[in-house]
Amino acid sequence: MIADILTGAIRSGTSVMIASQGELISERAGVINLGTEGSMLCGALGGFAVTVWTGNPWIGTLAGGVCGLLISLIHAFLVLSCGANQLATGLTIMFFGMGITAFFGKNFVSQQIVGFNPVPIPYLSDIPFIGKILFNHDPLTYLSLLLVPLLWYVIFRTRLGVILRAAGEREEVLFASGINPKLVRYLAVLAGGFLAGIGGAQLSVAYTHSWVENMVAGRGVVAVALVIFASWKPLKAMIGAYLFGAAQALQLTVQQQGLAISPYFLFMVPYVLTLVALLIVERRKQSQTPEALGKVLAGSG
Amino acid sequence: MSIAATITKDNKSFLARNQSWMIQSAAIIAPFIVFGIFLTFYKVNPIELYWSMVQTTFGNLYGLGEVLLKATPFILTGLAAALPAKAGLVNVGGEGQLAIGALFATWFAVFYLDTMPAMIGIPIMLLAGACGGAVWAGLVAVLKVKGKLNETITSVLLNYVAVFIVGFFVHGMLKDPNSFNWPFSPEIANTLRLPIINGTRLHVGFIVAIVLAIIVWFVLTKTRLGFKIRVLGSNRLAAERAGFQINKMYFWVLIAAGALAGIAGMIEIAGIEGRLRASVGTNFGYLGFLAAMMAWNHPIRLMASAFLLGMISVAGNKLEIFSGLPSSSVNILMALVLFFILGSGKLVKK
Repeated sequence: MIADILTGAIRSGTSVMIASQGELISERAGVINLGTEGSMLCGALGGFAVTVWTGNPWIGTLAGGVCGLLISLIHAFLVLSCGANQLATGLTIMFFGMGITAFFGKNFVSQQIVGFNPVPIPYLSDIPFIGKILFNHDPLTYLSLLLVPLLWYVIFRTRLGVILRAAGEREEVLFASGINPKLVRYLAVLAGGFLAGIGGAQLSVAYTHSWVENMVAGRGVVAVALVIFASWKPLKAMIGAYLFGAAQALQLTVQQQGLAISPYFLFMVPYVLTLVALLIVERRKQSQTPEALGKVLAGSG
Repeated sequence: MSIAATITKDNKSFLARNQSWMIQSAAIIAPFIVFGIFLTFYKVNPIELYWSMVQTTFGNLYGLGEVLLKATPFILTGLAAALPAKAGLVNVGGEGQLAIGALFATWFAVFYLDTMPAMIGIPIMLLAGACGGAVWAGLVAVLKVKGKLNETITSVLLNYVAVFIVGFFVHGMLKDPNSFNWPFSPEIANTLRLPIINGTRLHVGFIVAIVLAIIVWFVLTKTRLGFKIRVLGSNRLAAERAGFQINKMYFWVLIAAGALAGIAGMIEIAGIEGRLRASVGTNFGYLGFLAAMMAWNHPIRLMASAFLLGMISVAGNKLEIFSGLPSSSVNILMALVLFFILGSGKLVKK
């Protein structure tokens, strides 16, 4: 049962994890994007639709990423070029995503696809307990596991990472070194949207193999919350996402075991857990908030 | 400040006022054009749709009633966003606050008020709804004040929790025993239904919403308390220096906002639905938030933007009937309106 929950934690946490890595890039550059929810929705539908048309889940997933990117472009434009309020714009994009995917998704509701299926890694998946948890997943999940160390390396060990962090902390420094901070932020938001789209596509193409209206169900918001929980660190965001996934897996397991707990209480657990996690880490967080983002979170963005 | 400087300043603000009025009008009209282009791709004549929108609204009393009926919850959930916005808070929890308000109101109506006369029962039910919304907003407020958590993120997360709580009750303690296992509450007593204006489906909840909007406007613009709220919203540092009890203000502003959204939930039950369903008020919180943004958080202008959203919602139903496009397509129009308004914000403020 524990192995089931841990396997499920990765299976259902992956979409949130990918999206939160994307949001982390965006927030490192000083832009918070609640539209992540909208990007995930568009990614889930776009990924599903293109997989239906092409029969190729790889192309589908890529298309999902592009859909997420296009939606986040609206956010980038309104926030960076028009000076709109980041939180309000993000929420509008969340709403826009709900509307546009409900509209275009109507015909896809009952369709079937051959999406990604778990591929056990030879030998490694035979290791008792750990093998089942770590080495029996869909290809996207394996890739997403590589994403975390990659991002950590780029953000903390490369010049690109310095530029990204500077955009979120001291844009004057970037100006002084001849780099346009606005451009950096644009690219960071777009990268975030792309990953959110991939996360959404993972949900429809790899995890559920189906499209249902509003199927992201707040995972995008959770992804944003997790980045704050993680103090803008990729590894911690991954842990947070799997914790969220574990809460969801727990819910399925408890139902299968036929325990007399209302499923509705179990549905709440991941969201409540996210809130509690936020509360616990809040005290240590303040000093680590990217400076440009701190202004937004205090309500003057 | 010298007189000359005062005059130039006034002239500038006069020009700015006119200019901003034009930009704002353009920001309202442009999305309709964009959505119109979108519709033509789906072989829908946008001019016909917009014209029928206007006709439905102003053509007869019934149509106008339908639009006002749709606008009512948007006014209240809009106030739930606009009032905190004046204090510098972003409350997106209208959705959950409405749901919990509806839950409290239904709970009281079903278990305690079914034999009460309307004069006593309806006000108690209204109070219950307000309390429900206030409790839910209270969670956001406590997390903000004691836990230092950003209210935007907590209020959105709590929206999902609220929906599951309503689901829990309509599948459990509040389930109608005669419903053949459908998940909804028993119907509330007829005496608890809001009186209806003849010839329409419009109920007096609409008047409640208008009155509350005017009260919020009055408090914000004409009272000392409102002045303090606006100071806090426009310059937190100044408010701190002036010795305001900022946390206390944040707390009570959020509570008041939740109560307003909770009343919207009660009105949905007593005015329209008659019973609680898990899907009560879906998207009303978000739409109210959009209405408040469209009105730049001004309670009186909010009534106008809620009316516009009401018109668009009714048009959505028409769209579904006449052209087979899903009624949610109008959400795209609503989001477009917001994009243009948000995008023009900087131009207007200049």
